[in-house]
Amino acid sequence: MARSDCFRGSTSRRDFLKLSVAGAAGATVGADWRLRKASAKPAQITFLRESSYVKEFDDYFKNVLIPRYQQDTGIKLVYEIVAAGGSAVPRLVSIVESKAPVDAGWVQQEWLYREALLDVSDIAEEVGKQQGGWYPEIKSLSVWGGKWKSVPFGNIGQTMVYRRDWFDAAGIHTFPDTWEEFLEAGTKLKKAGHPYGMSMGHGFADNNSWLLPLLWGFGGQVVAKDGKTITLDSAETARAVDYVRKLYKDACIDDCVGWLDPANNKAFLTSQISCTNNAMSILISAKRDLPDMGKVIDHALNPKGPKGRFHSLVPVTHGIFNHTPDPEAAKHFLRWLMDPKQVAAWYRSAFMYHAPFLHAYDRDPEWDKEPRFKPDQRVLETGKLVSWPAPADRKAGEVVNKWIVIDMFAKACTGVPTKAAIADAATGLKQIYG
Amino acid sequence: MSTNPVLEAARPAARAVPVRRAFQLREWLEREAVFSWLMLTPPLLFLLAFLGYPFCYGVYLSFVRRPVAQPATFVGLGNFVNLWSDSIFWQAVWNTFRFTGAATVLKLVGGLGMALVMHQNFRMKGVTRALLLLPFIVPTVLSTVAWQWILDPGMGMFNRILMYVGLVTQGPSWLGNPTLALVSVILVNTWRGLPFFGITILAGLQTIPTELMETATIDGAGSWQRFRYVTLPLLMPVIFIVTTFSIIFTFFDFQLVYVLTGGGPANATHLMATYAYSISMGGGQMGLGSAAALAMVPMLGLVLVAMSSYVRKA
Repeated sequence: MARSDCFRGSTSRRDFLKLSVAGAAGATVGADWRLRKASAKPAQITFLRESSYVKEFDDYFKNVLIPRYQQDTGIKLVYEIVAAGGSAVPRLVSIVESKAPVDAGWVQQEWLYREALLDVSDIAEEVGKQQGGWYPEIKSLSVWGGKWKSVPFGNIGQTMVYRRDWFDAAGIHTFPDTWEEFLEAGTKLKKAGHPYGMSMGHGFADNNSWLLPLLWGFGGQVVAKDGKTITLDSAETARAVDYVRKLYKDACIDDCVGWLDPANNKAFLTSQISCTNNAMSILISAKRDLPDMGKVIDHALNPKGPKGRFHSLVPVTHGIFNHTPDPEAAKHFLRWLMDPKQVAAWYRSAFMYHAPFLHAYDRDPEWDKEPRFKPDQRVLETGKLVSWPAPADRKAGEVVNKWIVIDMFAKACTGVPTKAAIADAATGLKQIYG
Repeated sequence: MSTNPVLEAARPAARAVPVRRAFQLREWLEREAVFSWLMLTPPLLFLLAFLGYPFCYGVYLSFVRRPVAQPATFVGLGNFVNLWSDSIFWQAVWNTFRFTGAATVLKLVGGLGMALVMHQNFRMKGVTRALLLLPFIVPTVLSTVAWQWILDPGMGMFNRILMYVGLVTQGPSWLGNPTLALVSVILVNTWRGLPFFGITILAGLQTIPTELMETATIDGAGSWQRFRYVTLPLLMPVIFIVTTFSIIFTFFDFQLVYVLTGGGPANATHLMATYAYSISMGGGQMGLGSAAALAMVPMLGLVLVAMSSYVRKA
């Protein structure tokens, strides 16, 4: 048979081919290639951010800042939101790799792709000078090779979030000041049916935010300041691991060893746990949706260890991709955004969820509206980057993304002896640091 | 076609030539070899662009050191050597094999059972068949989030039922205990993949002639013997195909673990796919991540070759 009868219809093969070619051409022409001439004013600026846990923050940008920018400059501002919970870094990596049409954004884990970011020293220095100066620790992230590769925005404060009513009922009227007191209180609370829920799974913030400060507080460090010498295997680390194992057994809910970041919010808001380490989102959600619970939640700084009190920063910094077709326009946008006329109200729209790295906001009246949020600002005083004391570089990023330190603690909690858990982590570190 | 002699006469003679050309083009297009290639070219180009190119690029990346936003440096087999001494990688390999093996066996047994039941006549058969397809239809990310709630130790349905029937006073931590976490991801994968087996095997069952069953019954075969010596041998080709597909899908599974556990706790549920992803997209090591991803191909190939040679012998 020369040809199948099914092709003998009202549409001939040639018609079909013509349609296909026309369709493909139409799709190509219709695609938004966003080709722009560097010399002309850009049609739009695309700004990418991870969706905020505080809805008001994104709403403010969309409803106030976008129309204002368009009115001020005539340039369309596109706010591209990436879902929270770990999808932002892969999106940023793919933007850098494919040179996707995004001009600026919250450059999470910028140590992975600093080479792809524009020098924004002029903006950062100008903003710092204008608004009280920067907290020094953030410079270890934003400044690289003597140049600012990002403009710091704010820190998502991670503090101890606890049920004051249950602590009171257990006879604990002030939040434990030391890790030992924290264990003692947790043991009592677990016996009373209100365990802690301290995240130790493959999340990105709520695990590092208490395990690293705890390790540092006990005197342990992952890698030395030189960024080369692995210092994890020490007596101090062993003491921290033993402590976490005991804390998990005596004071925590079993499940927390595998928790991703949203899990502790869920457990806290369903009254399964009495304390966790988290950002403001639990209190904000409770005040909005569970007002009775909202009244009995409080925030406290991390307890201190033998070597002091520490916090782990969750920094938000904004950068410009150097593949932007119009660097000057992108820089103009970032400068405009960080102007107090814009940025101050944006910070306040989310109840200072992002504690500014700028000293001008240390005593902002917004902090007085909800005194329970004050510890989130004080985190900046003792806050360190996750790589501390080593530089925040690619290698440090790999340690975080392979959960090497987190898994050391999690393994100890699930039955691996301390020495073996530390040795596994040290082997992982050797592979990264060589 | 017009038959008006005046109009016919008015047609310029030259018009005949393009008509002739068009006719030749049509003839050429309608030749089987030409037309089949024309039809094949778009999907081939599509496959080359979206499968061939990424695969070849992945192979290239696996031989270079290529951090994000930095140029590549050729390292030969360096990435593979690096992985060879990486204990997390080997844990991910071991997890992947256990995950694939257990989930495939469960899906095969369950799917066969499901198909045999669906092959019977009962009321609401059509509706039941449609409902059984649901796990396969619902987007994985969505159903996995629902499973997160189901497996929640305090609020989850699983533990509520266990406590309600009095089996336990406090339910286990499904995603917090390393062993139970792996069991949980296997169960969720089985739940999601069961309809694929069930419906495909059901289609195979429906092609078995009823005469064969009748003959076997007349010869005195019981229901087990009919299943063992008539149904099962005739289903083998379908079972082989469906199992092969399932092994491939399960071996490369990513979404389920990524959403449910992120590979934790302490890497207990890290699969090769999730580990490769965390190295390249999280750690920014595109070369090393590609090597981890590429390592899945020969491993899966060996499994499939072993399986097909076993079936041929059988």
